[in-house]
Amino acid sequence: MKKKLRDFIFQELVFIAEPNRFGDDDDLLEAGLDSMGIMRLIMYIENEFGVTLPDTEIEPDNVQSFNTLERWILRHKNA
Amino acid sequence: MPLLTSFNLQCRNAPDRPALIEGERRMSYREVMLSTERLAAHLAAWLEPGSRVALAMDRGIDAVIAILSVLRCDACYIPLDIKNPARRLRFIVDNAVVHCIIGRGNPPEWLDTPALWLDIDRLPESAQSYYPPAATDPEALAAILYTSGSTGTPKGVALSHRALHNFADWAARTFKLNADDRIASLAPFHFDLSVFDLFSSLSAGASINFVPAGLTLSPSRLTAWLREQRITVFYTVPSLLGFIVLKGGLTEQPLPDLTTLLFAGEVFPTPQLKKLCELLPDTDFYNLYGPTETNVCCYWPVDRKRLANEQPIPIGHPACGSELKIDTETGKLLVKSANNLSGYWQQGQLTEALEDGGYYRTGDKVSLNERGEYCYHGRLDRMLKCSGYRVEPAEIEALLMQCPEVAHCAVVGISDSASGQRPAAALVLHPGGQLNAIVKTVKQALPVYMQPCRFSVMDTLPLLDNGKTDYQILQRQLERY
Repeated sequence: MKKKLRDFIFQELVFIAEPNRFGDDDDLLEAGLDSMGIMRLIMYIENEFGVTLPDTEIEPDNVQSFNTLERWILRHKNA
Repeated sequence: MPLLTSFNLQCRNAPDRPALIEGERRMSYREVMLSTERLAAHLAAWLEPGSRVALAMDRGIDAVIAILSVLRCDACYIPLDIKNPARRLRFIVDNAVVHCIIGRGNPPEWLDTPALWLDIDRLPESAQSYYPPAATDPEALAAILYTSGSTGTPKGVALSHRALHNFADWAARTFKLNADDRIASLAPFHFDLSVFDLFSSLSAGASINFVPAGLTLSPSRLTAWLREQRITVFYTVPSLLGFIVLKGGLTEQPLPDLTTLLFAGEVFPTPQLKKLCELLPDTDFYNLYGPTETNVCCYWPVDRKRLANEQPIPIGHPACGSELKIDTETGKLLVKSANNLSGYWQQGQLTEALEDGGYYRTGDKVSLNERGEYCYHGRLDRMLKCSGYRVEPAEIEALLMQCPEVAHCAVVGISDSASGQRPAAALVLHPGGQLNAIVKTVKQALPVYMQPCRFSVMDTLPLLDNGKTDYQILQRQLERY
């Protein structure tokens, strides 16, 4: 899952010269993920992983890093 | 009529009404006036009529007091985007030749001349606490809004009192603002949408309610805030409204107090607009159109019955008393309006921006439909619209060419379902050149919305027969990339 998220975010939303050096806890918002990026990311996640992310959980905390994203998605995937 | 005349009247006639609301902090019209008089008394010692004052502050109560004080001193305000990289801030402050920068705390590191800095929390003791309103010439400059420039550097759109007043007054009348309105302020002050939030609101005696920072990342919290604050009027960009349609939680909880929703800055895709209309059945929607140079020159009260998914909505009829013309050869829109800019501000001077007869030549292609409404068909030059911000590829290219690694480059817009367009860069590097250093330079020099989302290194750029870069092919290549 993280690989897919990384591919999508680095190819579509945030350009990082050396994505391999971007850690799973590094701050995506600081790297340039903005509100429109979050919107596209959510559409991607819902399509790709077949989950529905509740409106009230669209929060900076959940999209902060690859680790928080994965935890958030898994919580809904297993629910 | 000077810009602040109606505001001054509101202060006299209804001094106890709420004017500014930011979180727990509230200020009545009387308090705003007193704070303005006090700050203006301080500023008057620094400034003379026509001085430029930069604001290094975020949207909020203190920034409004600063703007009103600057205008009261017959000076002109230049709102900075303090999230901009240091290099860009320094460029703007130098280019504008400012007399003073109002901010909070110690002078920032990017500022080469700390003596220009005025910390509003530590104003020097002053015997004066009152400064009389200046008898402002309507043609005097009130604001300079810096935007992306096609010549490679940001350019300052210089707006007179006449221009701001004409728009603010038109908007207050057209949208029937009154003292009971609660108007949300979300647009940063360097963005022209803020002219409505600030001056139309205060001239009508309404309250300005500042949307807390960060809520744009969380649409359901934003709509909850709009509901709690019982916001009646909201002016924003379609890309944010698109996010609200998707995840704003409006199905469960509508916005019963919102009477008027204004949007501008980019095309609102009709399917999303239709959904939003269904979610907000009692709100009046308006599509406003116009570049920063003319502010709103065209508008369309959204007719819900006419929304058809495949059909883009019109930009409508002339607004603000504008006279519109279409260049018969190119289809370009020309605008003559009391809103029009006085010129571009460059190196401390005003340079001509209007054509003979006072028309401003937009780069937008338009046509008239069978109902006599104007319709927008995109740009005729290379300007991009990214989440409502305008971005000139030439400005990004000029920066890239400063990198020693870059031999050739071209920037195009690739389409993006959320923000409309995003810049993408194609580069030809000198032997041994590395992308890392280039990306680092870009991130240090450009605001996030101007940073290319893709960098593609090529052996050569695609060329047309005449030897110029083939931007169309390049765009297709970068979109596929």
